[in-house]
Amino acid sequence: MLQYLMILLDDTSTSYCHYNNKKSESKLISIEDLKAGIFFGMTENLMIQYVYPSHALPAEYEDVLESIDHSKIMPADNPNVDEADVVVFNDWKQMEGFSYSEGVSYVLRINKSDLFEQKVLIADTIEKTTKLNVVITDVESFCDEDFDTYKGVLQLWSEKLEKLYAEGKSPLLNLLTDRMQLEEMNNCGAGESNITLAPDGKFYVCPAFYQTNSDTIISPAFKAGSLEEGVHVKSSQLYKLDHAPLCRKCDAFHCRRCVWLNRKTTLEVNTPSHEQCVVAHLERNPSRQLLENIRKHGQFLTQQEIKEIDYLDPFDVKEEW
Amino acid sequence: MSDYIYSYRESGSSKNITFIVTKDCQLACKYCYLVGKNAKERLPWEVAKKAIDYVLNHEQDFQEESVVWDFIGGEPFLEIDLIDKICDYIKTEMFRLNHHWFNSFRFNFSTNGINYDSQKVQEFIKKNRQHLSIGITIDGTREKHDLNRIWKTKDGFSPKPEEEKGSYNDVVRNIPLWQEQFPGTGTKVTISSADIKYIKESVLHLYSLGIHEVNINVVFEDVWEEGDDKKFEEQLIQLADAIIDGEFYTDYTCSFFSENLGKPLDKKLQNQNWCGAGRMLAVDAAGNFYPCTRFAQYSLRDKKAWIIGNVHDGIDKNKLRPFLTLDRCTQSKQECIDCEVAEGCAWCQGENYDAAESPTVFERSTAICKMHKARVRANNYYWNKLYRKLELEGIAREEADKHVKKSNFQEPC
Repeated sequence: MLQYLMILLDDTSTSYCHYNNKKSESKLISIEDLKAGIFFGMTENLMIQYVYPSHALPAEYEDVLESIDHSKIMPADNPNVDEADVVVFNDWKQMEGFSYSEGVSYVLRINKSDLFEQKVLIADTIEKTTKLNVVITDVESFCDEDFDTYKGVLQLWSEKLEKLYAEGKSPLLNLLTDRMQLEEMNNCGAGESNITLAPDGKFYVCPAFYQTNSDTIISPAFKAGSLEEGVHVKSSQLYKLDHAPLCRKCDAFHCRRCVWLNRKTTLEVNTPSHEQCVVAHLERNPSRQLLENIRKHGQFLTQQEIKEIDYLDPFDVKEEW
Repeated sequence: MSDYIYSYRESGSSKNITFIVTKDCQLACKYCYLVGKNAKERLPWEVAKKAIDYVLNHEQDFQEESVVWDFIGGEPFLEIDLIDKICDYIKTEMFRLNHHWFNSFRFNFSTNGINYDSQKVQEFIKKNRQHLSIGITIDGTREKHDLNRIWKTKDGFSPKPEEEKGSYNDVVRNIPLWQEQFPGTGTKVTISSADIKYIKESVLHLYSLGIHEVNINVVFEDVWEEGDDKKFEEQLIQLADAIIDGEFYTDYTCSFFSENLGKPLDKKLQNQNWCGAGRMLAVDAAGNFYPCTRFAQYSLRDKKAWIIGNVHDGIDKNKLRPFLTLDRCTQSKQECIDCEVAEGCAWCQGENYDAAESPTVFERSTAICKMHKARVRANNYYWNKLYRKLELEGIAREEADKHVKKSNFQEPC
């Protein structure tokens, strides 16, 4: 069931996820489409999230934007970033000297190479933020050596988190603390719980299907209707968990199950790649250990149990399911 | 990426590796699903060699006990010189590499039969006889065969209706030689809307040509017209009467009639996928790999080719994951899951992909639903009538197997 409407205010609106926005020229959503999108969200009872570009919007947009309760997702270099509910760092250098605010979520989009190099910077940032979401932008390129390196990085962050929890703090790092708190899948929900309205007045399964331009991945099939026609997600069953053979049995509940990345790597929106599965499990397993370690310092999520497993890719054990 | 797909040698399993040697054919069959046939795309030797090298040098990824090297077209025997070279190379390489497929392999052909008696094809047969299977497609009576299986024009196009010329004579003259060289081999018959009315006489005609096994199926594409299911059922009941009354059942089979047909399927125990796409491998002239030939561009009407790699870079195993995790219920509508006559209802993964609302293999086409139900009713009639006849002749049901030749045919894709 749809719950959220993401509105891309401009072609250059920031990515807050795995994909890189390939659109480099500004093209604002028209005031008319913005109003129609807001009206649609109101009539369908959807929570609206505006996704901003790096530049400020014309003054005439402000009143329209504020006509409905909403969240703001802004890149860190937007001049009005202090109004954001979610701040996106598209480059780790933007984090240096940044003034973090209480109650704001921060998204760091970073490739694996920078992630491995900046693990200490990220560890230090955990302490400064209430919620830090790290999004790896080239998960599909991980090789066995990268998996090993990533394991070490997660261990470092896990130790940092344990120390902070022992001190009575409760910072959140999506890659390690989300799984500790989840009892069922909590994925991105594109095409199922959320839909995207792009500046062209059309709905898309998610922003990536509008803002990237690969012929292999992008198909008219991922257009999901228009303001005139309403939302129509083609093959909508594929976005539901029960139609994802690998994921419906999996307990890496925090995994994004990025439908765009699935489409890019396996050609199916409901099937994750080997790399996405292994990365999610490399996060899941230290989450389990972190939960146990935090409990050594006192009572913590007492009802939660994460089982020990001996695989990293559910594909390897699919015959046993 | 680790070698996680084929991690053990599967006992009794077989790998199908298909060379699309040409996209050309002498015929322009009206029901042919190959929408992109042409005379230009011929498999270059260098590409074929690279494909063989890739497969044989990645033995750990191909752990099936045996291999079937398939050659399809278009019409494969148009490229007999290339095929001969490929087969020689496969044999010498399997020997040189001490590959586990050496002495556990077969070369397989589906041909229109026109060139079957040519000197080159006959020499090839003689040379590879011990590791060879060949199926010739003949659709039945002259009328039925020539209705669909017509010669294309000299310019390579489908002829105008008034210029159509059937291929029956050019094929049937080779049937005796083929049956002599490959005794017991069945033929494959395809049924579309226009030729339903010829089913009974066509099957009997094929029996009269000495073909004991008629493997027959309706096309999976959405070509069916209102009332076709009724006509189909009537034809099958007439055929059932003819087979039983003529006592053909003792020594001939027709795959339309199967005891394992038309029962409900268990959601858990019978949830496996029907189709083998993804467990097969096909390569075309461009050197691209496909999960089966039906995913090559020349087979697809509305979708892009599903390429899983190429002879240079190898197979991208991520692109096989959907096929290897696909099960019956996930791709089926609720009415199919709950269907009380589901058993034996086949599908083609490539046609599902081509017909789906979005680019997915997880959406089963139900174009043959009414035809399957008609087949089930006729099949019930066949077995009830046959067993009653045998019973009246003093043959108990548990003894019936000794008196009835049964088809082992699996619905083709």
